[in-house]
Amino acid sequence: MKILVAEDDDLMLKMLEFRLKKDGHEVIVTHDGREAMDKIDELLPDLVITDIMMPYLSGLEIIGAVKTKYPGTMPVIIISGMGQESVVLEAFKLGADDFITKPFSPNELSVRVKRFEKSVFT
Amino acid sequence: MTSSQLFVLASLVVSLHTLGLIILIFTNMILLILAFMLFFMLWKGTHEKNYDRYRLISGLLIRRAVFYDDQIDPETGIPGTKKAKRLMINKIFRKLFTEELISAKKNIAGMAAENLKYLYHQLKLESFALKKLNRRRWHTKAKAIQELTLMDMRELKDDLFVYTNNKNEYVRMEAQVAVVQFNGFEGLRFLDSITYAISEWQQIKLLHKLSNLPPVHIDISGWLKSSNTSVVVFALKLARNYHGFEMHDVILTCLDHANPQVRLQAIHCLGEIYNDQTSIHLISRFWREDLRHQLAIIRALQNIGSEKDNIFLSTLLGNDDYDLKLNAARALASSGLKGLALLVEYNDSDLVLNDIITQVKGELAA
Repeated sequence: MKILVAEDDDLMLKMLEFRLKKDGHEVIVTHDGREAMDKIDELLPDLVITDIMMPYLSGLEIIGAVKTKYPGTMPVIIISGMGQESVVLEAFKLGADDFITKPFSPNELSVRVKRFEKSVFT
Repeated sequence: MTSSQLFVLASLVVSLHTLGLIILIFTNMILLILAFMLFFMLWKGTHEKNYDRYRLISGLLIRRAVFYDDQIDPETGIPGTKKAKRLMINKIFRKLFTEELISAKKNIAGMAAENLKYLYHQLKLESFALKKLNRRRWHTKAKAIQELTLMDMRELKDDLFVYTNNKNEYVRMEAQVAVVQFNGFEGLRFLDSITYAISEWQQIKLLHKLSNLPPVHIDISGWLKSSNTSVVVFALKLARNYHGFEMHDVILTCLDHANPQVRLQAIHCLGEIYNDQTSIHLISRFWREDLRHQLAIIRALQNIGSEKDNIFLSTLLGNDDYDLKLNAARALASSGLKGLALLVEYNDSDLVLNDIITQVKGELAA
């Protein structure tokens, strides 16, 4: 799968990239919301994984944009330290397909991404 | 040559000499500045190159630990850390690595987090943190305690306990959070001896930490009688959150405490921990209290009141304060059928009160 990751924490971004590549995915890394949207429009990834708090565009804005431009074709997973109920609900209301709160287990991420792998190829 | 001509010549020579000296001095200064700039740029370049190298090593090590799937051999630990061990004597690398390790630990859970903890221990970073505890500067101490807490160094819980009553507020806060994280409810034993006040924010933090743990029965009766009023307030919150019904009679004594904050918290607490006599105790103290406490009592009665309180509540319907009237009406409505009937039949020329009654009826219907 072609997966786009949007995360402004460099260390986290490298870890996510490493994990996903280890699972055999093609990974596109971006450091902020604006770069993420540009790359989404350009490369049309199969899955988007994004943080919420990022420069220029937040993860929630990215969900809104993706679900408007590419309805039903591009699942979005949120990974965020903001695990409050209101934030989680807002993300799902906007169309997020999954929400993982930090701290998270990389193995758990791997399994959750696999679910979307199956839906992309069926 | 005349003397004046000689004088002019001499002055000219001196002026030229002085000018030459000034030019020389300025030239030397410029050369010195240029040399300094060159040296600084070289140093900065080397420093940045080293820093980038350290970041690379640090990132690789952390990723190796996060994604290490095999069982860690206690003899060898996480492999590939020999170079890092040597670099640990370098203060810059150690600081950078520790910060990145802590940042990763905050974001990662599960086996990966355990591996990061192991890596921290394997590189003996806790020894550096422990040394920082003996520094004079409070922020160094506080940061060290925070680091040890984040890296889950439970074996050092006794070392950290002594700081729970430190004179610096931030050191105290970090130490208190640490002991609760490591010991759960047992960690609250620092309340036995603490002499400084526990701020509202710190109380919230501690309660939040405890909320992630399975509830355990603890004896809080001693804390309810503490001379430290913030400890009493915190103990009342604990009693309320963890349904300490056996503490009811001790909590009642807090209604007569000299500190208004304690009395207020006791009222809130009794709104959750009560028996059939609690409302009588609250009502008997109603008129001694200020408006804030009175409102708290009425709100508590909304939950614990019964029909025997109706006469008192109905007298409040004629009170000047709008909030008191509204909450008294709510308490009447929730006390039972007789209270509700009393409210419905209440007839008064006070238009505000009629609006209140209409509102309460609406709330009940909803």
